[in-house]
Amino acid sequence: MKVGLFIPCYINQLYPKVGIATLELLEKLGVEVYYPTGQTCCGQPLGNSGYEENAKGACQVFVENFKEYDYIVGPSGSCIHHIKEHFDILEQTDAVKNVRNNSYELCEFIVKILGKKNLGASFPYKVGLHKSCHGLRGLKLGSCSEKMDAYYSTEEELLKEVKGIELMSLKRKDECCGFGGTFSVFEEAISVKMGKDRIQDHLDNGVEVITGADHSCLMHLDGLLNRNNQPIKVMHIAEILNSSI
Amino acid sequence: MSHSEKAAIFNKNEAKVNWHDKALWFVREKRDTAAHKVKGWEYLRELASGIKANVLSNLDNYLIEFETNAVKNGIKVHWASNAEEHNKIVHSILSENNATKVVKSKSMLTEECHLNPYLESKDIEVIDTDLGERIVQLAKETPSHIVLPAIHKTKEEVDELFQKHLGTKPSNGNPEYLTNEARKHLRNKFLNADAAITGVNFAIAETGGIVVCTNEGNADMGAHLAKVHIACMGIEKIIPKEAHLGVFLRLLARSATGQPITTYSSHFNKPALGTEMHIVIVDNGRTEQLSREDFRSSLHCIRCGACMNTCPIYRRSGGHSYDATIPGPIGSILSPGKDLTKHSSLPFASTLCGSCTNVCPVKINIHEQLYKWRQLIVKDVKQPLIKKTILKIMGKVLARPKLYAIFGKSARWMLTYAPRFMVYSKLNTWGKSRELPKIENGNFDQWYKNRNKNG
Amino acid sequence: METLINGIKTEIKMGRASILKSIKENKPAFISIPEIDIDFFKEEIDFLETFKINVELVGGNITELSELKHLNTEIKNKYPKAKRIVSDISASNLGTVSITKETDPHTLENVDLAIIKAEFGIVENGSVWISEDYFPIRILPFITNDLVIILSKKELCLHMHDAYKIISDRERTFGLFISGPSKTADIEQCLVIGAQGAMSLTIFLV
Repeated sequence: MKVGLFIPCYINQLYPKVGIATLELLEKLGVEVYYPTGQTCCGQPLGNSGYEENAKGACQVFVENFKEYDYIVGPSGSCIHHIKEHFDILEQTDAVKNVRNNSYELCEFIVKILGKKNLGASFPYKVGLHKSCHGLRGLKLGSCSEKMDAYYSTEEELLKEVKGIELMSLKRKDECCGFGGTFSVFEEAISVKMGKDRIQDHLDNGVEVITGADHSCLMHLDGLLNRNNQPIKVMHIAEILNSSI
Repeated sequence: MSHSEKAAIFNKNEAKVNWHDKALWFVREKRDTAAHKVKGWEYLRELASGIKANVLSNLDNYLIEFETNAVKNGIKVHWASNAEEHNKIVHSILSENNATKVVKSKSMLTEECHLNPYLESKDIEVIDTDLGERIVQLAKETPSHIVLPAIHKTKEEVDELFQKHLGTKPSNGNPEYLTNEARKHLRNKFLNADAAITGVNFAIAETGGIVVCTNEGNADMGAHLAKVHIACMGIEKIIPKEAHLGVFLRLLARSATGQPITTYSSHFNKPALGTEMHIVIVDNGRTEQLSREDFRSSLHCIRCGACMNTCPIYRRSGGHSYDATIPGPIGSILSPGKDLTKHSSLPFASTLCGSCTNVCPVKINIHEQLYKWRQLIVKDVKQPLIKKTILKIMGKVLARPKLYAIFGKSARWMLTYAPRFMVYSKLNTWGKSRELPKIENGNFDQWYKNRNKNG
Repeated sequence: METLINGIKTEIKMGRASILKSIKENKPAFISIPEIDIDFFKEEIDFLETFKINVELVGGNITELSELKHLNTEIKNKYPKAKRIVSDISASNLGTVSITKETDPHTLENVDLAIIKAEFGIVENGSVWISEDYFPIRILPFITNDLVIILSKKELCLHMHDAYKIISDRERTFGLFISGPSKTADIEQCLVIGAQGAMSLTIFLV
């Protein structure tokens, strides 16, 4: 299987470590990974702001770069969700349909497609899992607290196997962190308050490291943690899963 | 003022935000507990959604069937295309009966039509008898939540209100004392009312009957004492058969407050001897919403308020920051249809987390409709120049890989080398309460290039 | 169809005609009604015990009588101060105030206790169905200070779907599902029992 590695624009520019961890992890799991260098962005920030039409160019670039791969894997639930849901504005050629059908968030790819759970990782810390909304409710990476379905969580399945890790329980299991893309700027007061409340939940429950499958959420929480000098670190789940394999 | 401006003001009092947020989260938790106890909860939601979809696709026939059966049972049926017609019809029924004192139970429709000020301008006294609604009526405010109208008021605030308007003794906000005083005060109003106005939770086409649900009993205290009962309903309140009430009554109270059912679920089929019963069926923009394929299912709404209780933005900004009769997630997909410009900030007052969609008993895809409204709004409503320009430029840059590479590099250079005071200036909204990410040496593209060079 | 308003008959007709026309033009293609598979909700539970738990959960009181003849005594014990009592004669003869369909509902303002027979109870939510067939003045169960319900413990059904099977096949005027005493949580979410309707509800199971 040929896997096209999708590195979201903000990870490329601001958090390359997450992209590196993703690539290394996939390779260690025996995957043939290609990185199309012409990729830019999935277009989500524009779509969420109402400028879906203006994002068509970016979406086309994405399809061009990824159309020939069996799977497209990226370390971002919200971006993958955007591709699967909102690429419906493009003409549905075979290429577009293939890209939409074969895009996977990293954890989902590892558990569902590769069928692997124990990745030999080691991370002896108290970890709080932030269940990012688009991955959770959009991609159904896990069951959510509103619905009366059987419990499951793709991220937890992987984290549970990490040596030395202690997964801490939170009071509100899947409340939104308040990032929401441009929401974080246009509704700044609420965005900040939501982030602060999430952080408090982790602090109250002894968390040392907040992790999740979406670094946009983590970036927002990290911004608050750093401004307020709070004793919690953030780390993308790819970095934890890639640690000391 | 936009939602974000009002929300920023609300957030100046962090203690109040925490209090409001916790109060509503508690209601959400009660809903979860109640739903967990029901075998087949998700199946019920599926049924409710399917029934409402059928209703919308056959709405005209159901309304005619409803009217025919209601009239057969001695109920008078009126139709109002808009709020003005609704208000005129209600007023004329009251005039015909020389009614000057009216008691009204909860009806968001009458809020929507601004019925109270209209009737008051005709010298008719209208008393809102739901305790929460009476509180906001005395405070001269609008309800901030469709089920818990006074959720934004502390008990101390209620105490002061009652001291001023009902002559109660100071009680430090004792809920039992205040409720009991309200009971006495409202009882007086019920006993002296000429007419009672209620809402309609469900109207059954098959029988021509209606169901009104309350916990306090105020709808019934009004309707069974006054000689005239006027029930106001939106066209979408119709359900086809009585058997369907089984589905909706199992979902409604559990979604709204976590109770298995409201205290009273009153089924009105015929007027009582010697009384008159009227139903006013109202459009007021609903048929227009019906025409919108993307937003039509918002008419499934049974007004439970679950979406408000779960919404992390609603909980932290309060209903009044939406400046719409119906606030919160459902309000944000209903209101733009009525006035796109006035309510253009509402669909953006969301992170699209999707929690509302998952609690909605009739499975309205609220968060998806919010996204869709955004696309319409930026086309039809003037956007701030900076926002519009930046996003359009972004669109162009992201469509050209080479341009994107340059842009990425220069943005990162700027953030790394520009002095702090420049980066964290007033223009940088992000930087008001958050640090920006630290810029690494090189981006992923560079790392990958180097890796390939080095084999 | 008759309208009430002289002179503006046309306007009202316009409202109806224009609404129906607008719906016809704007409604989507027909979607058929889903069938309700009631068997999906079947549960093997103790009806009586679950009903009792749910009645108390919604703020009601419930007493199981070993013998019907104890009913009046039990009621008097529970409500010793009640003087003005309206009772459904088939349920109990403790009534001191008699009412008919012609009674002015306003005169029931000071009723202390109403005793009404319920036709059946619903296990899933602790509610009972009472209808105008059993009490002649609609305001009675609301205006009374306290409410007593007489219910046969054999007349319990599991859920609302079963309830509607029972009541739908008949000519009705007014009835209601009543679940516990009136209540409100409108003041800072503090639950207060006794809002506008009855202050208490007691079910005697016979």
